[in-house]
Amino acid sequence: MHLVHEFLESSCATHPEKTALLHGGQFYTFSQINRLSNKLAHLLSAQGLKKGDRVLVIMENSSENVASYYGILKAGGVSVEIHERSTPSEASYYIQNSGAKICILSGLTAKRLHGLDIPVIIGAGLHTDDPLKKHIPWSDLDSMPDRDPSVTIEENELAAIVYTSGSTGAPKGVMLSHKNLCSNTASIVSYLGLTETDRIMAVLPFYYVYGKTLLNTHFMVGGSVVINNRFAFPNAVIKEMVDKEVTGFAGVPSTFAILMNRSIFTKTAIPTLRYVTQAGGAMAPALTKRLIEHHGNTSLFIMYGATEASARLTYLPPERLVSDKLGSIGIPIPDVQITIRDDAGKELKLNEVGNICATGPNIMQGYWQDLEETSKYLKPWGLVTGDLGHKDEEGFIFLTGRKKEMLKIGGERVSPKEIEDVIIASGLVHESSVIGRPDELLSEVPVAYIVPMDEKTFKLEDLKAFLAERLAGHKHPAYWYLRKAMPKKPSGKIDKETLKNELLHEMHTA
Amino acid sequence: MSEIISVITEFIRENFIAGRSDVTLDPDQSLIESGIMDSTGVLELVEFLESTYVIRVEDEELVPENLETINNILKFLQTKGVS
Repeated sequence: MHLVHEFLESSCATHPEKTALLHGGQFYTFSQINRLSNKLAHLLSAQGLKKGDRVLVIMENSSENVASYYGILKAGGVSVEIHERSTPSEASYYIQNSGAKICILSGLTAKRLHGLDIPVIIGAGLHTDDPLKKHIPWSDLDSMPDRDPSVTIEENELAAIVYTSGSTGAPKGVMLSHKNLCSNTASIVSYLGLTETDRIMAVLPFYYVYGKTLLNTHFMVGGSVVINNRFAFPNAVIKEMVDKEVTGFAGVPSTFAILMNRSIFTKTAIPTLRYVTQAGGAMAPALTKRLIEHHGNTSLFIMYGATEASARLTYLPPERLVSDKLGSIGIPIPDVQITIRDDAGKELKLNEVGNICATGPNIMQGYWQDLEETSKYLKPWGLVTGDLGHKDEEGFIFLTGRKKEMLKIGGERVSPKEIEDVIIASGLVHESSVIGRPDELLSEVPVAYIVPMDEKTFKLEDLKAFLAERLAGHKHPAYWYLRKAMPKKPSGKIDKETLKNELLHEMHTA
Repeated sequence: MSEIISVITEFIRENFIAGRSDVTLDPDQSLIESGIMDSTGVLELVEFLESTYVIRVEDEELVPENLETINNILKFLQTKGVS
């Protein structure tokens, strides 16, 4: 398959009446989703959408969301999906930056997003007194044909622009072609061994590349996707995993921190659960170990990637995680090559720490309308991920940290991840995040933010004693902040930028 | 009873919707569906309930029936002997 929407069309042709999506009490077959996306494609074309035009989507995960995604692609459009809780001013920024011609909202998001100045298709559920200016109701789909639209699309044409927030400046749009997404999807299907019998529980949002891989991989093989947008109540998600007999689950580190520390996950048997994947940042090895211990019959795939790589770059085979490679992000996925290089692009020797660089058919086309940023990250030797790491003798890659997050303490480069991992290994802390604070003497000192496992019994002295035995003195946090929860990005990752801003604010007002 | 509602409402206003004029707070509205709380928010709320009312919330009790709306939270607190 060379085009992303062919995943849906192919599964529809093979088994039209098989369940593609489950959401709440609703079931949708491949045929139903395909017909709905065809209608959406015809509606977009009727609204004047041309090949290459961008369509902004602001929806929670749903059947409408899935039909919109494939419908945009069938019409030759480029999907631009953003967080469903985006504010009107954020939506305006993305419309302006991407040049989107049409926007698609859900009934829920339309209630909050007023005054968008482009035509807006609105999903079911929005009632009267709609304050939007150019409103196209979902019911307009009823009169549209449900046959495949006849738009010729090439595999190198753009399928999506995915915005990613860097540590500085406005979000950048990562341009991904059909080929980028198709090749990455095929690689993931291959190493996870997915088949039409697989059924994934999707709690990650589809606008996030990791969440989107859940959809595309399962639609490629004719599997099913269970949508649950209520991970705020993890116990309900766990019960649904049992009820719906899911075979797979995917999460970021905070997903697993919540499951292991604040839910019934460790007490619940999920007999059908074949595998679990973790990506979206490095998970502390202590948490990984506990996860393996509690669900020993389920394969745990530790994975690594980047939006700029369509999602995925490496995975750690579960048997090596258990036997001898805990802490590694694994080996390159099929069709991807990973090298470790210095800033000039020279490849480094084994075990030398340098920039993690990647080549392969999944690497982005560049940043949308930003040649300067593109030239910084797309080098002749591949994508510069911005992460630091090394390779061992067997080619397994170990992540050291984000280049921009590395601390410089008294001339020593220190990875916040190393400190965070030890804090979590204490077993006293639910989540931790370490950032740097400017210091006259040492140039920078570590500052630790922690959420204690049990606020009532937690003693900071115990944690400090644990660190004292395991980390050199300059790596001991100079400041500690106890929090009830960590600020999170929409993807569930800890939002270090918010912590840094809070720290700077405190320093300036002290 | 109304005092408990106002304490919870104030906590939610201060912690989750400060500065957001687009959000209204109704005792029967879902705090999740309306985008007021996410998974982190639920845990913050639970910590607040535990420390304010000196109760213990078990993992098994982190369910929508107990925490989805302000009225659900109120009923849950009553089962814990808070009045």
